Amino acid sequence: MEIRIKGLIRNYYSEGKQIKALDKVDLTIPANEIFTLLGPSGCGKTTLLRCVVGLENPDGGEIMIGDQLVWSSEKKIFVPPEKRGLGMVFQTYAIWPHMTVFDNVAYPLQTRKLPKEQIRSKVRKVLGFVQLDGFEGRPATKLSGGQQQRVALARALVAEPKVILFDEPLSNLDAKLREDTRKELRRFLSELKITAVYVTHDRIEALALSDHIAVMRAGRIVEIGSPKKIYFNSDHRFVADFIGRANLIKGKVIREEGNHAVFDSAIGQIVGLNSQKIAPGQEAMLCIRPEFMKLATTEVGEGKNVFCGKLETLVFIGEAYEGEVRIGDTLLTTTIEPTEDITEGDEIYISFDPDHCFLLPV
Amino acid sequence: MFKKPSLTFSLILIVGFLTVCPVLMLLFGSFSEGLTSFGSFTLDKYIEGYTDPILREVLLNTIIFTVGSALVATTLALFLAYVNTRTNLPFKFLFSIISIIPMMIPHILFSVSWVLLLNPSNGILNRFLMQMFGLDGAFFNIYTLPGMILVEGLLDLPIAYLIIAPAMRAFDVTLEESSKVCGASVLRTLFRVTLPVLRPAILAAAILVVVRSLASFAVPSVVGMPGRIYVLSTYIYRSISSGFAADFGKAAAIGMSALVASIALIYVYRYLTSERGKFVTVSSRGFKPTLLDLKQYKFPVFLIVGLLCFVLIVLPVLVLFYTSMLPYSMVPSARAFAMMSWNNWIDVLKDPISLLSIRNSLTLGVVGATLGVVLSIFVSYVIVKVRSKASGILESLSFLSFSFPGIVIGVGFMWFFVQTPLYGTIWALLIGYIATYLPYGVRPISSAFVQIHDHLEESSRICGASTFYTMRRIVIPLLVPGIVSGWILMATMFVRELSLSVVLSRPGSEVLAVQILHFAEDGLWGKLSALGIMMIFLSSTLVVAATLIGKKLTRMEVVDT
Amino acid sequence: MKKLSILLLGLFLVPSVFAADLVKAKSEGQVNFYANITAIQPIVEEYSSSQGIKGIYTRISTSKYLATILTEHAAGKLQADVLQAPLPVMKILKDKGVLVAYKSPSATGYPDWAQQDDTIVQFGIEYVAMIYNKEMVKPEDVPTRYEDLTDPKWFDKIVMPDPSLHATTITWLVGLKENKIFPSDEAWLKFVKGLAANRPMFVKSFGPTPAPVESGEKHLAISMPKYIITKAPAPLDWARVDTLLGSPRGIAISAKAPHPNAARHFMDYWLTRDAMKMLADKVGEYVLAPGVFPPIDGISDVKVLPIRELSDEEIHSWGNEFKKIFYGK
Repeated sequence: MEIRIKGLIRNYYSEGKQIKALDKVDLTIPANEIFTLLGPSGCGKTTLLRCVVGLENPDGGEIMIGDQLVWSSEKKIFVPPEKRGLGMVFQTYAIWPHMTVFDNVAYPLQTRKLPKEQIRSKVRKVLGFVQLDGFEGRPATKLSGGQQQRVALARALVAEPKVILFDEPLSNLDAKLREDTRKELRRFLSELKITAVYVTHDRIEALALSDHIAVMRAGRIVEIGSPKKIYFNSDHRFVADFIGRANLIKGKVIREEGNHAVFDSAIGQIVGLNSQKIAPGQEAMLCIRPEFMKLATTEVGEGKNVFCGKLETLVFIGEAYEGEVRIGDTLLTTTIEPTEDITEGDEIYISFDPDHCFLLPV
Repeated sequence: MFKKPSLTFSLILIVGFLTVCPVLMLLFGSFSEGLTSFGSFTLDKYIEGYTDPILREVLLNTIIFTVGSALVATTLALFLAYVNTRTNLPFKFLFSIISIIPMMIPHILFSVSWVLLLNPSNGILNRFLMQMFGLDGAFFNIYTLPGMILVEGLLDLPIAYLIIAPAMRAFDVTLEESSKVCGASVLRTLFRVTLPVLRPAILAAAILVVVRSLASFAVPSVVGMPGRIYVLSTYIYRSISSGFAADFGKAAAIGMSALVASIALIYVYRYLTSERGKFVTVSSRGFKPTLLDLKQYKFPVFLIVGLLCFVLIVLPVLVLFYTSMLPYSMVPSARAFAMMSWNNWIDVLKDPISLLSIRNSLTLGVVGATLGVVLSIFVSYVIVKVRSKASGILESLSFLSFSFPGIVIGVGFMWFFVQTPLYGTIWALLIGYIATYLPYGVRPISSAFVQIHDHLEESSRICGASTFYTMRRIVIPLLVPGIVSGWILMATMFVRELSLSVVLSRPGSEVLAVQILHFAEDGLWGKLSALGIMMIFLSSTLVVAATLIGKKLTRMEVVDT
Repeated sequence: MKKLSILLLGLFLVPSVFAADLVKAKSEGQVNFYANITAIQPIVEEYSSSQGIKGIYTRISTSKYLATILTEHAAGKLQADVLQAPLPVMKILKDKGVLVAYKSPSATGYPDWAQQDDTIVQFGIEYVAMIYNKEMVKPEDVPTRYEDLTDPKWFDKIVMPDPSLHATTITWLVGLKENKIFPSDEAWLKFVKGLAANRPMFVKSFGPTPAPVESGEKHLAISMPKYIITKAPAPLDWARVDTLLGSPRGIAISAKAPHPNAARHFMDYWLTRDAMKMLADKVGEYVLAPGVFPPIDGISDVKVLPIRELSDEEIHSWGNEFKKIFYGK
């Protein structure tokens, strides 16, 4: 089910000052997709989510879930959260400590006054789905973090909601478990084919899970796009920087070459994608991600985007080296194959594909 | 939500109606000439009340008395709550019952017990200590400010205990553990983590004790007056009782300052705990805190707690029992023991009014506390979770008649109820009790509320539950410790309530405390003590029942049909 | 008048003659008695069972008496048929129109001053005396005059209601002066100052005075002899002096009595010798019915005088005087 948000405003007041948590947000979340709201803390992503579920009242604007207008400040419409038919997983999981796993999961069905038999079979089914068969009688507090997380998911899913919302559900798990759970979640959600809205500040989670990502900053949506689009060819410097590690190089566009443009910078001329058609003569910023830089110890002929520099630092991080290459006054971060035989101080050549670096307006 | 303001509003109406009306009557009374609430306007009562030269000394005494009592009560309550909930001390159940015994004793009886124990002429404890240590003079003179503080502090200990203990029990253990991991000692953890996190509960307890001791009359009259120490409540008494036409309007005029002080305190409290998020400590995890192993200190701590409980609480009760067996007040001696009999008990049990009063008080305790707790849950919800300006008003309202000195508020209720058909019925008592002692329900329940993470409630709403369904299935079960505390505070209070009862009870609606007061006025200490012990027994039964039911409820898996 | 009293005396001996009044009273079924006097339940019960009219006793303490009655009266909800209180309180009630005139024939034989008023009958005196502990005070030390209380041997040994606030005690101290118990006002003042110099312990009212004496915490109390009866077998006795003083107790009928016939009937009953004897025997009250005395040794020989009732203004100003004397350095 599609969610449409129009001109949503939410203001907070702190010590007499107004803070715009949501500053006229317009957003359409397509049906049956995993849609992520990504941004640093305080960007308004959680507020947006809470407005959608109905736990917070916006100060202006409209929210539609499917065909139902659930909030409109103009028409004075407010559908309380319990009438919105949504499911949600909280950061704290919000598992009720006084109940068993069964009671926690059965709760949404009990509020809908389903017959007992039906409740039992549905709970069993959903617990099977999240791989918690046999946990029905356990007190909720006697579960591990990952298990609690799955109980929370089962509870959100059991009533077959039109939309399920996640508020940083993985942030309380340790790194390994987080990765596994992320994969599981991806599997669960793609099997279910429902609209999922996912809030996180973790870019890897966002990239790994989402069909589309909306990056937010200071109460506004900066950019919406598929993970690849945002990663490879973002329209905004903030987004490019936030979604992954990036080298940002200042310079000026010299000329356009189809989709590409030639760009003059402190390290020399670079050819990169110019999706935003920045005109020649304009100041711009080139973004190149460390993992797209190729490395060689000898000169590899006269290709495009080949530069010579000195390896200043080299840190082994397991799956790769992380190196810093100095070209003139510019320091570029790069990822180096762990098998590469180089040491700090070596003179090296770096090159990158014009399709793998892109120009951004300043 | 759009609904919340209307809930807040209707609660403000209900609570306001209950608590504002009597206070308003007193306000009218304080400005009108004559002895009733409606007379021609005058400022004389204020001028007279506030120009007395001894008022300054009285106020100083009052501050020392109330703050001292709050310190004694809160410190003791913290200590007892900590050892009772967080350590593996043996006989904890016993100690937690003992901690709330003073709650069930009529204050006048407890004060008299202490006078018998510690009066400078022949106090039992004084004599014992004098003989043991070969002292020339009395070890401790009860008729002093420290004496008053001791007795009042002990009497208010249960209030503080019942607010602090549930918070201590619901405390998120990971906070303490993380401190210990950081290398902090147990004591350091206690002072740097545990106590600061419990700040709302501790402050609530201390403020409630201050407010309560401000309104207290038994201790200032029984212990203070013989020592010629006057505090606000005895000063009020003094100003109305010299002469036959007691002017309660004038008493109300002086009482207004106590009211203003209490309301100011409540605002201070709200300000100090305004960053509510800091104190949310119960979440899905860490619901059951682990216990601190006292190891080699187990026995010494047990000895200290045991001795403390014995001297401070059990001994006065024993004195009561001793008095109840005697035909008249006597210092323990062979002759005294020889004269012991059950006569006082038999007399009381044969007295139809005493029996009726036991029945009435029991009914009022159970029914009143139950209704009071229901109202308190809604009020606490608004105070803690809605937390708007209006909820601030509601919180202040809930304290309004509570903060008024006891000897005056009863008259306020009389002036109010006489305008209604409830006057002279047991319903007037019931409503008056709930209105006056609402903070006893609201404080512990809102302390418990503060500790329930919003998410637990919000996820219920999203699961399709209405506000009320959420209350019933999620909030209330999680609130059980607080609810039990509130119920106990209210029930035991109602069983021994005096200030309102003495003006509102009529033939047929006699209650225990009034019957006890009558015995006291007639100087019948034996019967008084016998009935007092029956009252303690009655209240203990209620407390034990409530605790057991509460235990069962917390363990019970709520399965809805 | 005399004829009537003989007739009435006859009525109690032969209840059937009494029937006319009783029938109406009985048809009203009950009578509400508001009183500050304590422990009179047995008399009310005796009334109910012997007369067949249910007596309901509402006990209201002196400090709340006026506030309660006047509030109920103003709201039109005064349930009382018969009211009893200290005389000054009754006078205020009379001034406020709460009471109605009634001359009870049972008061015949009471002292003239007790039945002068057309509305309020004085039936007893809340008498005050020096009560001591027989085991703590040697017979030769027992005071024989009020002045003896100023002897330094009583230092820290006396308990009394606070003379700066307890109305009855204030009235009593003033009564000692006005009834010329002392040879001169100077002698009286010397007595008051001497008493103050002995630093008596103050309590709220008479109620808490006997306990410290019984237990031996203090040796002597300015208190009421009735405790010798109600607190028996406590080792209490009263110091014999020539004259005892006390505030008179009054009784009257409410102007808006819901049961007017029963009210009159109850008042008649209350003032009979039998009822008064019960009051004296069971509660140790000093009553004004001729020839009835509480069973306390020596009381029938002592003069017990009513104190002139002081206005509240007088009580306040005397209270302030005594505050200066008793609380002064």
